Amino acid sequence: MGRLGATRRAPGSRVHLPRRAWLLGATASCLTGGCAVFAEPPQTVALALTPPARLPPRTELRDVPFFPQTPYHCGPAALATVLVHAGLSATPEQLADAVFLPARDGALQTEMLAAARRFGAMAVPLPPQLSALFTDIAAGHAVVVLQNLGLAWVPRWHYAVVVGYDLAARELVLRSGTTERELMGFTLFERTWARGSYWAFVALPPGSLPASAGEVDALQAAIGFERVAPPTQALRAYDSIVQRWPNNLLAGLGQGNARFAGGDLAGAAQAFERVATQHDSAAAWHNLAAVRLRAGDRAAAQLAAERALNRAQNAEPQWLSAATAMLAQTRARP
Amino acid sequence: MTTRTKRTLATLVAMSLSFAGLAQAAPITTATPALIGTEQAAAAQSGRVLLEQTLARADVVAGLQARGVSVESARERVAALTDAEAAHVAAQIDQAPAGGDALGVILTIFVILLITDILGFTKVFPFTRTIR
Repeated sequence: MGRLGATRRAPGSRVHLPRRAWLLGATASCLTGGCAVFAEPPQTVALALTPPARLPPRTELRDVPFFPQTPYHCGPAALATVLVHAGLSATPEQLADAVFLPARDGALQTEMLAAARRFGAMAVPLPPQLSALFTDIAAGHAVVVLQNLGLAWVPRWHYAVVVGYDLAARELVLRSGTTERELMGFTLFERTWARGSYWAFVALPPGSLPASAGEVDALQAAIGFERVAPPTQALRAYDSIVQRWPNNLLAGLGQGNARFAGGDLAGAAQAFERVATQHDSAAAWHNLAAVRLRAGDRAAAQLAAERALNRAQNAEPQWLSAATAMLAQTRARP
Repeated sequence: MTTRTKRTLATLVAMSLSFAGLAQAAPITTATPALIGTEQAAAAQSGRVLLEQTLARADVVAGLQARGVSVESARERVAALTDAEAAHVAAQIDQAPAGGDALGVILTIFVILLITDILGFTKVFPFTRTIR
């Protein structure tokens, strides 16, 4: 045997350790996605070429609280961070009960959204763009992101909260793990964020919406929120959607349903009538008939029910049986 | 017919008419007709029928329990999910990303075996060479 640490060169031997390490690194990298992994990620490149307009060059939300995570509990910590920042009451311990899945040693994305709504927030996913993160941070909203800090084939899933960005320095500020201000360059951030399909969400009190939210994401968030929220809160959520997207049929229907659930018959009728006349929606006509019947106005209820049946027969067959039944109810003698 | 009989008969008729009149003025319905829910309307719009998927939800509750969640928590957590979300969780509960910082067991083993290969205790990887 040679000196300690020296390699013995037999004929046809393999390479030295340093080159071996390079080979290992290259192999690992290529296994994750070919040589493309060495290229700059696409959104970071685009941002460098075309900086986003109408955004402050840097913003940091310094008042976002910090909840250092306990092992495997980055989900509850991240969620508590944004809920408290939104003015709602929540602790990581309470949230762990709502999101932590012991067998997976973590929290599922769907359950993160559902838990946020249970604690009183509208949790709305953002468009899969870095610029969406900047827009909402500039609007004062902290953003929860899912990152894969490992490789695609040996993932290390992690939730963190983005609280700041600096376009010139090309870096983000995150509350992450046990680090209150984690500075991460765009390149590394985008790589880790892309592995999770660019998933991010904002949690806000009902009545507010993320600045960069899309109509479909906002609506789906409100529908989920309606499941668990008191009617007055659900109404605020739908109101905010109708305010931004006045032609949204389902949000209008949601307004009517939330008002009805809250005992406001007149308000519910008004909401359903607005949607019904704007869209000629069978569901809206049907619900209008139901509310009018409940209020004791049989004649008006029958008119609405006839409109519902008419529409169902012409264009919305899925509501045929409901409309038929409703019309029968409006005609029934006591 | 005696006056007394006429009077009794008249009273009875009057009472019957009053009763019928009261019945007419009573509330029209005893039960509120069900409204089409927002989630239900959304599902119909996407071509899905909302069955409240009771079976699927029970599956998710059982699935959460089997993976370490308490009975109470599991029920509350599933109740907060929409139909579509419950179906998604049911399908992806073991594959979907679970953020938590668990350093993959696979990676740990990989690193360990790499080190042991180099140290000469194992020979798992073809590209390694021991230091002695």
